[in-house]
Amino acid sequence: MSLLALADIWKRFGATVALAGAGFTLKAGEVHALVGANGAGKSTLSRVISGQLQPDQGSIVLDGRAVRFAGAREAIRAGIAMVTQETSLAPDLSVLENIMLPRLGMPGRLDWGAMRHEARRLITQLGAEAGIAIGMRVRDLAVGQRQIVEILKALALDSRIIIFDEPSAPLSPHETERLFDIIRNLAATGHGLVFVSHRLEEIFALSDRVTVLREGRVAADGVPTRDLTQGELIRLMVGRELSDIYARAEKRASTSMGPPVLRVSHLSAPPRVRDVSFTVHAGEILGLAGLVGAGRSETLETIFGLRPARSGTIELDGKPFAHVSPRQAIRAGIGLIPEDRRTQGAVPDFSVRENLMLAHLGAHRGAGLAYRLRDAAVRRLLALLGLPEQRLLDANLLTFSGGMQQKVILARWLILSPRLLLLDEPTRGVDIATRSSIYALLRRIAADGVACVVVSSDFEEVIGLADRIVVLSDGVDVTNIPAALVDIEKLGMFAAPRSSAERTHTVLEGLAARHGGMAFWIGIEGGRVFCFDRVGTASAADPGFSGGGFPEIAATRIPEALARRAAGFVTEPGSGLATLLVPVRGRGGHDLGMVGLTLAGPEGAPDGAALARAIAADLETEAAREAA
Amino acid sequence: MRESVEVRPGAPARRALPAHLLHLLATQIELRMLLLIVVVMAVLSRISPYFLTANNLLNVMDQSVIAGMVALGQTLVILIGGIDLSVGSLTGVSAIMLGLAFPKLGVPVAVLICLASGAALGLVNGVIITYGRIAPFVVTLGMMSIGRSMAYVLSGASSIGNIPDSLAALTADSVFGIPLDFLCLIVAYAIAWFFLTFAKGGRTLYAIGSNREAARIAGLSINLWSIAAYVIAGLMSAVAAVFLTSKILSIDPIGGAGEELDSIAAVVIGGASLFGGRGSIIGTLAGVFIMVFIRNGLNLLNVSPYWQGTAIGSIIIAAVLVERLLSSGRGRA
Repeated sequence: MSLLALADIWKRFGATVALAGAGFTLKAGEVHALVGANGAGKSTLSRVISGQLQPDQGSIVLDGRAVRFAGAREAIRAGIAMVTQETSLAPDLSVLENIMLPRLGMPGRLDWGAMRHEARRLITQLGAEAGIAIGMRVRDLAVGQRQIVEILKALALDSRIIIFDEPSAPLSPHETERLFDIIRNLAATGHGLVFVSHRLEEIFALSDRVTVLREGRVAADGVPTRDLTQGELIRLMVGRELSDIYARAEKRASTSMGPPVLRVSHLSAPPRVRDVSFTVHAGEILGLAGLVGAGRSETLETIFGLRPARSGTIELDGKPFAHVSPRQAIRAGIGLIPEDRRTQGAVPDFSVRENLMLAHLGAHRGAGLAYRLRDAAVRRLLALLGLPEQRLLDANLLTFSGGMQQKVILARWLILSPRLLLLDEPTRGVDIATRSSIYALLRRIAADGVACVVVSSDFEEVIGLADRIVVLSDGVDVTNIPAALVDIEKLGMFAAPRSSAERTHTVLEGLAARHGGMAFWIGIEGGRVFCFDRVGTASAADPGFSGGGFPEIAATRIPEALARRAAGFVTEPGSGLATLLVPVRGRGGHDLGMVGLTLAGPEGAPDGAALARAIAADLETEAAREAA
Repeated sequence: MRESVEVRPGAPARRALPAHLLHLLATQIELRMLLLIVVVMAVLSRISPYFLTANNLLNVMDQSVIAGMVALGQTLVILIGGIDLSVGSLTGVSAIMLGLAFPKLGVPVAVLICLASGAALGLVNGVIITYGRIAPFVVTLGMMSIGRSMAYVLSGASSIGNIPDSLAALTADSVFGIPLDFLCLIVAYAIAWFFLTFAKGGRTLYAIGSNREAARIAGLSINLWSIAAYVIAGLMSAVAAVFLTSKILSIDPIGGAGEELDSIAAVVIGGASLFGGRGSIIGTLAGVFIMVFIRNGLNLLNVSPYWQGTAIGSIIIAAVLVERLLSSGRGRA
């Protein structure tokens, strides 16, 4: 019997229909993925389930009884909790107080002793001893730990249904893995888990069944995950091939690229941006990938003059560009589409026309408005963006959908004919149709010779849209790679913060110190090596790639070892370099690449099989130590 | 309200005339204010036959000048999402400056000194609020206390008399039967309206109040114009000081007391949002008139002055309630 069943759910927001007869069923003990492209309605549906939104129409059946939640509080009482990306924790309270927060509002005296006991029991039950002490202030916890506190908070309320809304977005691969273990544990103890995500690999790694939403309707209803392939899932999500969305066909060959427009060298703007270098050419779309908190937005903001740089140089068209204000950046031909449309983009009390003119007003030198100057540009752009003219211009911006608003904000900058466009999450909260037209537009802008830098948390989007990708991790650029060469998994491993990839790094350091030579963490695919990390100073044992590199196997100094991937040490026929490769597996059993050790010669090489076992054990120990 | 979401390219959507009028009333605050003034005047003229006489209307004009000048500056500050509690004290202290300066330096220089001191103290407000990132409420509350204290210190806590005729003429003279000071008020509001509607600075004030971060990213000079709003508020307090002196022919350290709350009330009755970004200078002028009318009407009706606060207070709350009801249909609650 199903724990929860929703049927024929409708929800409208003004003129837009978010849910058009959607449904969803959840069994106890399963992880049920709720997927869909941006704007498909998955967030709306999960907010309906958690009582934050009331459907216009439709039925919700919990444990065989029809229910109607007037608010999130009622849903929580009924045992439904939601764990969101933007955590709902009180940062200045302790872990214990946060877990027990709902109880602080109840009448009567608080029994702190019992609550402490209860919290410790929950932590043990979750297997989440990992560095969480109940007395710690939530402010001092890492993002992954905060999510665990949210889960604990849900468990303290005896929630049987927990909804995870894009929980892995801000997490590193290791943190994600730990979270997935916890989710699997919860399923094993009879909880019903709803997992909202658009990351395909996670859906396949974690979920038992999948419900796909498309434009507010159910495109696939509770299909067992093992019956699906990635390609099928994508088609269900978008209703067509993914490549169509990204307008790949129009992608330019990198040879026809123009001169460099922006060159950033060793840029540092503490605390987030530590050492970032990259170059963007005219006509090129450069993706800036990485996890939340890796310093991507801050890099854009520093270039644009919104935050001061501590050191490093920015060159525009080959000339040093040391500006102090956004206005100077704008006058130099730079535009910034900020991350949060509501707080940084839209001016709610202005008409669409004045919103379009905002950057013009900033760039304009006179005391008047001179809106007339841009009339022709406005007409041209509205036509290009497929926006209706006339009535639209005098209407309030907020009455339009997120996608429409984003187009207006984009047009705000295009009116100025910029040479460099910095876009921070340009498709966040934008429906799939508008997304695809924004991609096409960016391609077109690039084809006109504008250099674009696009920040996106969606690795799929970065790969689909960008010509080249720079991955940032902990404020440092770790690789600079053509988009055609890389996939989502590799990007994820490049993007892993140094702090959380530390477990592998520690193992590498130990290897290099004990045996001399060079130790590395790599992925191998399509005849290429992707090097995520490398440790060691013995240049005689250089494998021919370094951290962030991605050479073809034939171009490295250890092609034999990389091609054979044998169990023991492999000696290169020419150079005599001896290499041992050990596969790394996550706790979920999925592929995390290989750890390797290259020595200058086969002489004195330890026993390969024994060392391989030792390395595997080391990785486990490090994982355990990290957990403690 | 659902209707206004509809987008039809080409000709404006046709509505039945009453619906069209309602729509205009809902969207045009100036129109709403005009209607309110007409209603207030109609009611008052029915209650008291004296209300619509020339003498009384001149009286009303006279009473609206000082409050109007202060409320103009307050409007700019509230548009950027700030508030200025010091305007009354700045009127007091700049009046004292005027009184100390005219015996030695003559009226024109003394007026300049008066205006400069108001603007300078406004500048202090603006700089501390903008660069010190302190809540406007706190900074101007402090300045309110400092200004009043300075007024007492500088004047030795006594009144200054013997105001020259050239100063008195400001409020005594009239052009075509309209008092000169009232004309000054109208000119000041006309300039402010033009500035807020057609100048980059004016639009910047609205943008700052509506979404400061978006305005910053668009390259607008948000610091400059945030400070300018407080400078103008200080300047207008000093302008009010000049007219106050001219009118009562005496300078008192207590001068301008209560103006801060009256000016905020006028701006709020005029439809501005205390969160910034929304409001109109015409609305403020109407708000000033409505407050003066109500006071005047209550006086004509021989209602105890103690009741006036209740009347004004009720109107402020009612005005904000009406605005809340109207704006909730427009997306921003």
